Amino acid sequence: MITPSGLAETLLWGVANGCIYILLAAGLSIIFGVMKLVNFAHGQLLMIGAYLAFTASVVLGLNAYLSILVAMGGVALIGLGVERFTFRKVLGTDKLNEIFVSLGLIYIFENAAVLLWGNKSAQIASPLHGLLSLGGISISYDRIAAMGIVIVILLSIIFLMKKTKIGLAMRATSQKSDATQLMGINIEKVYIFTFALGAALAGAAGALYGIIFPFSPALGALPTIKAFAIIILGGLGSIPGAVVGGLLYGIAENTAGYVLGGIWPDAIAFVLLIVVLVIKPTGIFGGKGD
Amino acid sequence: MTQLTGLLNSKKFTSLLHSKRFYFIMLGLAFIAVLPMFIGSEYVIGEVLAPMIIFAIYASSWNLLAYSGQGSLGHAAFLGIGGFASALLAIKLGVPPIVGLFVGGLFSAGIGLLIGLACVRLKAWFLAMVTFGFSVIALTLISQFDSVIGGIMGFATPLIVPRGIPFYYFTFAIAATSILVIYLVMKSKLGLAFKAIRENELEAKMTGINTGKYRLIAFVLSTFFAGIAGGLYAESIRYIQVSIFDPYYSFLPLMIAVIGGLGTIEGPLIGSVIIVSIDAYLPRIDPFLQGLMGPLFPAVSNVGPPIRMMMLGVILLLVVIFAPKGITSLINKTYAYLRRDKKEVKP
Amino acid sequence: MQTKMLVAIIAIAIIVVAAGVGTWQLTQQPSTSPSPSPTSTPTASATSTPSPDARPIKIGLVAGYQIAEGQDMDRAAKLAVEEINAAGGVYVAAWNTKVPIELVIADTGKDTAGETVGPVTRAVTEDNVDLLIGGYTSAGTLADQVVAIENRVPYIITGASSNLVTRRGPQGNFGGLPADDARRYDDAEGMSYMFHYCTTTADYSKTVVNFFAQTMKPLLDSTYGFDASRPLRLAVIYRNDAFGNGVLADTKNLIQANNLPVEVVVERPYQTTATSFQTDLTVVKDAKPDAVYVVDFIANTAEIIREGQKDVGLNTVYIAVECCEDPQLYTLLGEYGGGVLLESKFAPYAGPPFYMQSIETYVTNYQAANAGKIPGMMGADTYDAFFIAKAAIEQAGTVDKAAVRTAIEQINIPQMLIMTQTGTVQFSTSTNYHEIAPITFVEQFTYNATLQEARPQIVYPATVPGIGTLKQADFVLPTGYQPGSP
Repeated sequence: MITPSGLAETLLWGVANGCIYILLAAGLSIIFGVMKLVNFAHGQLLMIGAYLAFTASVVLGLNAYLSILVAMGGVALIGLGVERFTFRKVLGTDKLNEIFVSLGLIYIFENAAVLLWGNKSAQIASPLHGLLSLGGISISYDRIAAMGIVIVILLSIIFLMKKTKIGLAMRATSQKSDATQLMGINIEKVYIFTFALGAALAGAAGALYGIIFPFSPALGALPTIKAFAIIILGGLGSIPGAVVGGLLYGIAENTAGYVLGGIWPDAIAFVLLIVVLVIKPTGIFGGKGD
Repeated sequence: MTQLTGLLNSKKFTSLLHSKRFYFIMLGLAFIAVLPMFIGSEYVIGEVLAPMIIFAIYASSWNLLAYSGQGSLGHAAFLGIGGFASALLAIKLGVPPIVGLFVGGLFSAGIGLLIGLACVRLKAWFLAMVTFGFSVIALTLISQFDSVIGGIMGFATPLIVPRGIPFYYFTFAIAATSILVIYLVMKSKLGLAFKAIRENELEAKMTGINTGKYRLIAFVLSTFFAGIAGGLYAESIRYIQVSIFDPYYSFLPLMIAVIGGLGTIEGPLIGSVIIVSIDAYLPRIDPFLQGLMGPLFPAVSNVGPPIRMMMLGVILLLVVIFAPKGITSLINKTYAYLRRDKKEVKP
Repeated sequence: MQTKMLVAIIAIAIIVVAAGVGTWQLTQQPSTSPSPSPTSTPTASATSTPSPDARPIKIGLVAGYQIAEGQDMDRAAKLAVEEINAAGGVYVAAWNTKVPIELVIADTGKDTAGETVGPVTRAVTEDNVDLLIGGYTSAGTLADQVVAIENRVPYIITGASSNLVTRRGPQGNFGGLPADDARRYDDAEGMSYMFHYCTTTADYSKTVVNFFAQTMKPLLDSTYGFDASRPLRLAVIYRNDAFGNGVLADTKNLIQANNLPVEVVVERPYQTTATSFQTDLTVVKDAKPDAVYVVDFIANTAEIIREGQKDVGLNTVYIAVECCEDPQLYTLLGEYGGGVLLESKFAPYAGPPFYMQSIETYVTNYQAANAGKIPGMMGADTYDAFFIAKAAIEQAGTVDKAAVRTAIEQINIPQMLIMTQTGTVQFSTSTNYHEIAPITFVEQFTYNATLQEARPQIVYPATVPGIGTLKQADFVLPTGYQPGSP
């Protein structure tokens, strides 16, 4: 039984769910754009971000939405360490080595989280209650807040990329790293900043995830793959691509669930991905493959 | 048959007979063959050695794909398809299980062919993602048709050969054949083409190699052996369930091949021995770990499992950072080092 | 070249001979391990010195340490073993002494079929456990129990909601499974070593549908003036796995078989990897149900109930099943827990006075040993099972597996943490399945603003024959409740 209002609601929720994916995908995309690196442990950073925000809100009694900052800072710091001690060592070698480092990191992060926080699910208590109803369509205030926060974060990232020195350096590096080095840009610094920035976005995504959904240490695997599918859908390394990809993905998932049945969302999102890639092998916004 | 004798008389094969490796291979085979006589344990034969052999096939199939410059993050789909197809053929259609095993492999290869055709233009990450997506789609399809397949609850797999020692020799024979075929493929003209594509696809194309065709061949061969491994795996745990499509099984061959040494024939074998041994024997240190560090982490009832899995993560990082060519390269280096010593001593 | 050929021939010869010998060895052995001979009569029974054969009793715990429930089982098992050993251990008549229990852990990871067989085989064939306790998922247990069946090791299964774990044999009162069912296991004797100390999907569903028919429907009728012929509109939203499908099938069967005034108006499965459920809940809402039956584990159940109220505005009666009986659910539900129902058989906060008294010691000891953690249901089953094992071995007077099996079959001890219909722990003694008859009840949560958690009270059934009053409070419709379409 498909009703127009049900479908409208489904689309809206698709956008709302897409928002968290977008944040995660944007981080992955920035890192890929500059470093040509895919961190498959990105979803584990999201999970750690959720736990950091949870701890901040429980232990420090922080407002759930303020704890996003704690999560961003904490995960950025972890990102610094990860880049410095693992990915830097394999950068520029075989692509498989990156997947392999990620696998190692997945094992480490997931189990560290189990040790520190246990296997049980947790959720961050939100200060917002209730839902907004507009002509038969309703959405909770938490979702609206999440969408707003994602937009603010994305705008700041775009500002950072376009208007600041480090953003310029990042863009220069993403074009051609050898030339950048000749121009006197410290490429290692750019890399470490980029990675920390991407990690901070994962942290923010984690905190938002934790406000909306329950989470546990095993959460990370699927979001990473989804985020990666999104940046592939949109085109590797492109932030607008991540946004479009994320929205498409969220909408596809929810519509499939509504129209075809609850077991289809994951599969249909990947069907979409495969169809897009078969038609355009570099994604919607992708220029050249890598 | 003529093809087989042709293969046996071929230069590659005779050169194999002449190489020093030959002794090692024969010795290794003989060692694997007599192993069960010294190990009376049902557990070691059935739950350690047999999975080692099965995952060696599985990782070798993945390795062959990587050899042609393609990466799959969804090989579990083919492991699962092979497993389900061979079990269902035997149960629902009464096909003899041993035939079912090969038909399961062919079925997996057939699906691999379709996926390969769709992905022939895709490179690196894109292909990896599509294969991963396919494993999710396969899982959904199996769930959708659960009333026919029964994969959600799972079911017992039919017996091919009696369990224990006969099953061990059966998997051993299949593994030896599969890995020999993969070896011959890698050393043949086909393998040369794969290698050329991996090194530089554009150049390969310019030298007149039909890259699409060769990539497809690699994909089909790889999925065939993955399907066979799936049939054997379902057989070895005697039960098959949709959990076989878990991403864990997609990452497993990658882990095994890279730890052992990517692109080498012995890499997946060594990797499989290492990973399966870790899985089987590392839990033994759990009580020790709990005694040592238990009180520090009250969030878990037993710190053993998370700590040992963190250790596995650290080992992976160390291997990839300090021995990026896998354990095989370390062995080769040690071997070269020892030989250098000998040569130096002589004069 | 000649030496090479020689090496090759020798190697091949070794392989062939090895394979031949191996196969021969196997054919010489009986296809199943020999059933142990009847207990040798204890020699010189009057001696007071312990037998030199005396050794600790090894009990294998089959638990997935990567899931929270597995850790609950682990904590409960350790507690039980500590308590038994502190009291001197288990008296084994054949050894004429008390011996301690040694816990052997079979860590099954996430308890999927692929992960369980290896660790259980190790516990059985390497560590030679005398008995197995545990098992969590149905598929994982159906896979690993084969090891216990073949090796004739008594296995007290404390998880696995599917009744197949004891009924997949070739015969029995419930017919076993048809010969062409791939899950059937053709070994009646081996199957007799399986004991199911847990409720099954049929047990849960019985309590749930009876509650709807006997308690909720009359309340709806009187509150909203519905006609008595209007069936209660039930929606089932369930995870698409063995557990979810099993609950749905049993619910529908029970409604039909007993001709209950309950109608399943919508069935909504979703993939086990799902994390958000608005679309599923929208479909459920569109069907205008009177109540929603949520069939999943803790995190998703809590999320469905939250999203239903918070995002979709589906203000109805939600009921979850006992595998969510864990304090985690109370926390996750929080303010959305008010009015929610839970079918259960063990609750650390809820129960009649006599029962609360009997579980208080357990809860206190559990919290003392585990930094204040509150026990869940999976652990309670496991804890009981250790005492069943102890009683059975003492009754058998030996650790001989066949004798212990018989002793468990005949066991008759007072109920412990899990209430049963007879007040005693007794397994049904048919040839190929052994189940217990636990009492299951329905709790309703109220939100406690100071704790910021939900707390349960039993609302159904009112009384149980042989036990007395169970009910603590009356079932009420949650605030803001909207009934389904008339």
